[in-house]
Amino acid sequence: MFLEQLINGITLGSIYAIVALGYTLVFGVLGIINMAHGEIFMFGAFVGMLIMSKAGAPLPVAFLGAIVITAAMGLLLERLALRPLRGRPGASHLASLISTIGVSILLENVAHKIFGAGNHLFETPFAEISFKIGPVTVYLVQVVILLISLLLMAGLALWLSRTRAGKALRATAENLETAGLLGVDTNRMITATVVIASAMGGVAGVLVGMAFNYINNQIGLSMGLKGLAIIIFGGMGSVYGAMAGGLILGLSETFVVAYGSSGYRDAIAFVAIIVILLIKPQGLFGQTTAEARR
Amino acid sequence: MEWLNPYHLQVGSFVLINAILGVSIYVTLSTGQLSLGNAGFMSVGAYAAALLSTQHQVPIPAGILAGSLLAGAAGVLVGIPSLRLSGVYLAIATLGFGEVLRAILINWESLTGGAVGIAAIPQMGRVILAWASDRGFSPGSLGLQNNQFISLTVFLILLLCTILTVAFFLRLSRSRVGRAYAAIRLDERAAEAAGIPITYYKVLAFSQGALLSGFAGALFAHSTSFVSPGDFTYHRAVEILVFAVFGGSEHIFGPVFGAAFLTVVPEALRSISDYRYILYGLLLVLMMVFRPQGVIDPALLRRFRRSGKGTPA
Repeated sequence: MFLEQLINGITLGSIYAIVALGYTLVFGVLGIINMAHGEIFMFGAFVGMLIMSKAGAPLPVAFLGAIVITAAMGLLLERLALRPLRGRPGASHLASLISTIGVSILLENVAHKIFGAGNHLFETPFAEISFKIGPVTVYLVQVVILLISLLLMAGLALWLSRTRAGKALRATAENLETAGLLGVDTNRMITATVVIASAMGGVAGVLVGMAFNYINNQIGLSMGLKGLAIIIFGGMGSVYGAMAGGLILGLSETFVVAYGSSGYRDAIAFVAIIVILLIKPQGLFGQTTAEARR
Repeated sequence: MEWLNPYHLQVGSFVLINAILGVSIYVTLSTGQLSLGNAGFMSVGAYAAALLSTQHQVPIPAGILAGSLLAGAAGVLVGIPSLRLSGVYLAIATLGFGEVLRAILINWESLTGGAVGIAAIPQMGRVILAWASDRGFSPGSLGLQNNQFISLTVFLILLLCTILTVAFFLRLSRSRVGRAYAAIRLDERAAEAAGIPITYYKVLAFSQGALLSGFAGALFAHSTSFVSPGDFTYHRAVEILVFAVFGGSEHIFGPVFGAAFLTVVPEALRSISDYRYILYGLLLVLMMVFRPQGVIDPALLRRFRRSGKGTPA
């Protein structure tokens, strides 16, 4: 029982980590919170559902389709809702927050118009396959989810730390103007960041569909809120903080549901935020800077 | 008296409640802080007022006062930890606060009635009608039917509340406190260097916004006589934000205009009503790109005033 819950928690946590990474990448580079990330993620889940459950195509095609669609949405988001606000004199730091809230509410209700408000079954062909390791039952779906998340996280970490583009992205995150002066095409880096973050959201959407077996147009909001909670918890803009925060949230939710009350499951994330804001406002892995404390 | 039908009056009442909500987010924004928790504070006021009047027979005005104060106190509690941080943290912490509150409202069934909510809350208009009838008054003497009288009373009470609220904050904006808010909004660090205790004023503005949301919530509970957690979702928080962003957040008339316009137009054009939130989303993006200060800004108001003076009487 305990071990099975542990596996459930780690599976859920790895999905949360992927969702949170999407937020943290954009925050790290642009210093803004992309409130539309949850809805882009939701579209990824729907695209995956249409490809796999409705058209009967295999899982990799579903991932590919979700990635293509959400990456395109990320590109549009950057061009239409973020770039026009950038570098405009006197623009409030709230402008981009409000504009992405606009995109999120728009996308959620477009999804409502297209798919309706009800739950859609997300069928994975190998959903029933499981095997036993000693007394513990493990589902193949969980293994696949875990593998994909780990691959994605490792790939991202490697890309950020080892490649030229990753270096340029880190430089842009550190200081936009200086990076620009040193020859980094910052506009391109920003676009790349938003597109990569959105594509990761698309992957996370398909993973959530696989894990929960159903999706609706509200998951963007609920998962998005958890992603936000995680990046505050883990430290804004910290990639490793998002990974650790995701795992911690996934595990604590699973254990609260298993040994406590399921009604408050969705509140855990926010209780965690309030506690962390009181005790360690910069987050678990965040750096204390004079600016962050303001 | 045909035009005075309860439907028009009800739309009018919603305009006024939304106007108070619009002012509540404006007050917080006037220090450059974005709160997404106003729907949550609204639910504090609404549930407190509803529970006090249905379970403890507290008179309606006392219940409304208690609900507003409780929401204001909640505002202080949420505001102090999150206001030490940047505005982005505040937006998310308040959003989270609203969601936690909604989870509590849904789960604490013995007190809040769970997802169903609380029904049969005394309605202001009905209570006043019953009180007046006991003293030999009949709406017929004014040429009104009972339901017309009820809706009209609610509308007039809300109108009074809205006017008082707007007048108070208009006055506030010209006071020491209002100037401190404006200074903080323009440049927090410069304001701090000039000796303005910024944390104090930010918490004050935030609590005022929370109190006002609670006030609107309590009025809402006693106007519709029914509240449920579904009334206070994230969508409500975004709706309140749209009032201020569309109408304008640099002058108090902005959110009032935004609330009025965005409440009346979807009612008048039913076909738009289906696409309300899609429209809200587009509106938020377009406003940020093309007119971030909102439709009404001080420059526009000055132009109105000047042209008003210019025309011969």
